[in-house]
Amino acid sequence: MTLFSIARKNIRKNFTNYFLYVGSMIFSIVIYFTFVSLKYDQTILETADSSTKISSVFNGASVVLMIFVAVFIWYSNSFFTMKRKKEVGLYSLLGVRKKQIGRMLFYENFLMGIIALLIGIILGSLLSKFFVTILMKVMGFDALGNFAISPQAIVNTIIVFTIMTAITSIHGYRLIYRFKLIELFKAEQEGEKEPKASVITALISVLLVGAGYWLALQNMLESEVWRKIGYLITPLVILVTVILGTYLLFSTLTVYLLKLLRKNKTHFWNGINLISTSQLLYRIKGNARTLTIIAVLSATTLTAVGAAYSFYYNNRSNAELANPNSMMFIAKDKNVSNQIKERISRDKDHKIIYHMSVPTMMMDADITNLHSKFYSDEMEYSIISNKTFNQLAKSQNREESLSLKGNEAAALEAGYSKDFSPKYVGGTISLKANNHSENITFKELKKYNVLNLQTAGITVVISDELFSKLANGINLVNMEAYKLKNEEDAKIVTKEVQTLLPEEASYSSFYADYARGMETTGLLIFIGGFLGLVFLAATGSIIYFKQLTEATMDKDRYVILYKIGVNKKEVKKSISKQILFIFALPLLAGIAHSIVALTALSKLMQTNLMTPVIICIGIYVCIYIAYYFLTVRNYYKIIIK
Amino acid sequence: MKTILRARNVQKVYGSKGNQYKALADINFDIKEGEFIGIMGPSGAGKSTLLNILSTIDTPTSGEIMIADQNIVTMKEEQLSDFRRNNLGFIFQDYNLLDTLTVKENILLPLALSKVPAKEIENRVEKIADTFGIQGILDKYPYHISGGQKQRTAASRAMVTKPSLILADEPTGALDSKSAIDLLESLTALNEQNLSTIMMVTHDAFAASFCKRILFIKDGGIYAEIHKLQQSRQEFFQKILDVLASLGGGH
Repeated sequence: MTLFSIARKNIRKNFTNYFLYVGSMIFSIVIYFTFVSLKYDQTILETADSSTKISSVFNGASVVLMIFVAVFIWYSNSFFTMKRKKEVGLYSLLGVRKKQIGRMLFYENFLMGIIALLIGIILGSLLSKFFVTILMKVMGFDALGNFAISPQAIVNTIIVFTIMTAITSIHGYRLIYRFKLIELFKAEQEGEKEPKASVITALISVLLVGAGYWLALQNMLESEVWRKIGYLITPLVILVTVILGTYLLFSTLTVYLLKLLRKNKTHFWNGINLISTSQLLYRIKGNARTLTIIAVLSATTLTAVGAAYSFYYNNRSNAELANPNSMMFIAKDKNVSNQIKERISRDKDHKIIYHMSVPTMMMDADITNLHSKFYSDEMEYSIISNKTFNQLAKSQNREESLSLKGNEAAALEAGYSKDFSPKYVGGTISLKANNHSENITFKELKKYNVLNLQTAGITVVISDELFSKLANGINLVNMEAYKLKNEEDAKIVTKEVQTLLPEEASYSSFYADYARGMETTGLLIFIGGFLGLVFLAATGSIIYFKQLTEATMDKDRYVILYKIGVNKKEVKKSISKQILFIFALPLLAGIAHSIVALTALSKLMQTNLMTPVIICIGIYVCIYIAYYFLTVRNYYKIIIK
Repeated sequence: MKTILRARNVQKVYGSKGNQYKALADINFDIKEGEFIGIMGPSGAGKSTLLNILSTIDTPTSGEIMIADQNIVTMKEEQLSDFRRNNLGFIFQDYNLLDTLTVKENILLPLALSKVPAKEIENRVEKIADTFGIQGILDKYPYHISGGQKQRTAASRAMVTKPSLILADEPTGALDSKSAIDLLESLTALNEQNLSTIMMVTHDAFAASFCKRILFIKDGGIYAEIHKLQQSRQEFFQKILDVLASLGGGH
């Protein structure tokens, strides 16, 4: 019997033991392969106009994925070898040479790697088609039927995973050399010491997390601290303090709290509490690192997915904010305008809701008096009259109107930001007319515009009398504004109108912005969702593996309990409590971290991310809960058997 | 004296038809309150099977067993765990202490499970720790104490609920002779002063000589029964050795 056949037999006979390991490898390979085949797919690269952008996003994401997959495989590999130390020790005890054992483990691992690779690629080929359909749907393209598996993707995956398998196999080969025989036998019964907890470290952990949160929630632009530490280093400081704080929180504060709980005799000496609490206490130190990893992974996942989804979610409102009219352009040539009007009227699917010619003056203004840090002293504004504004606002279903008198004015800035934009209300600027200037004072500010951003920029509304006074000396331009039905799919008409117009017309359309947004945010959310799903599956599996390892180790303890008369119901209750604690801790920490991160983000972007973030967290929690019940069930099964 | 345990026609058959193996043939015996009874016999005689059945963690193929006036053969799973908790105390060869709990917590575990008030728990633990001389190590963890201390902790845990019957499975098997004597003396004291009923399964004739009565099992049936009566421990020990010799080897 050759070593190779022993190794082969090993796998065949203990397939259930190997199943988890091979399963997690297959999972990693499927994920990686799917992602890479998307990256190399011609249809994706061709369909998206901005192919360089997409491929660079894909490249970045696939590196992240590769690192992650490597860590994950490493983790499940060490979990797997840990479980087999005893078996390896037995071979050694029976007189098989170290070299032979090492070789056997090497072959075995390599064989499994190759099998996993084959299955992974086959499954991946089937699944990637499915993913492409989803991607296209999310990005707003029509689903593509002719997606094909590229040989490059297969080669790439084979290379990456063969290297990984080789590394883990060498690791397996070295196992027998790394430990003494006695250590192999005792692998599963190293006595974990009772953890110590000092009040000071517990306090420090809270302080660290608190400091990180505080820093993150500062207004970046105004904060002294941010300026002092530096804008590039502060995020790093936040990251380090929060991660370190989380670790200490798990390793110390929890111990401290559990010990407090233990001091309370009426609670602690009450049925099954005694067992679950002490069990947790016993394991918590060894778990602290895993819990921290999971909390950080959860936080990253939630933040990334939450942010990506928020962009996606906000795309329509952003496009609407920038383009209150479906189409807008500066009309210079009457003929062209008529042509366009005729073209648009022909479209039956996109009926005109309104069409207006907006008399506008493009004027330079001296804005020194606004004392803006970010805007230059001279700005060009689009000036419209009070009457025009009221008409447009009414057509756009805004329940607001202006009644400006004399030199009063109102600013319309759709991209208004408290930090960057000047303070308009009360400020005075001077409009430069042909040979004199006219001072106007802002009475109101609207954080939207009635004209499209790309055509009109920042708009100033002035009183009707001032408008007619100024209009005498200046060339008025007409801006044509159309509102169409079903503007979000007005692809053809938008394109055709564009071809009719010269560059100077500053053509803008809702569709173009919306589609561009869908393209990038769709891709963002797809990648975010994809990585999020992978991370979620991985975090879940890490806790799951860890808990089941503990279950095997704790089995004896439950046998003792059973003998002294603890019934199954109580055992189940104790297990549920214990595992709940382990699952809830990192989840809560992860959610808290991501909420802080997203709050900071929403402050920076001045958008409300509440709804999309809540949806993301909700989904995450649901999947996580499913993992919880699965773990409890299987933990219990191991114990009872 | 009240009868604590009554076993009638207890049989245990392993295997299926055609390939049957009788671990217990036909066991009949009683244990009265306040007895300290030993079970001896060669390997494979059925000692462990008998003990497992009496411990309610295994069921007999046929027969009837009454412990504290309750028929344990007909009980359901849930009832059995309650029964074990309330009526039986266990001392095992390998101690079976929970290493996540301190000595004190190990002892009070059965009381906590039965939801005895904290104050009462404190009193009872103190008393039993006194009897076994382990007050000094109450706050230590099992991996910090010696085998003898572990076994005394286990015995304390078995006795703290004042069970009707204490089942000891080779309690001295893993102990050095000094610790073994200490433990056996403590058990004897409890038996004599508190009238605790103890059944001890052992290989060791010396340990058995602390009992008041010994049943010898061979090939699944009761082979002999001897009483200590007024003999000294030395004489009883000699008598045990004689019976064992007649039993034949295997231990």
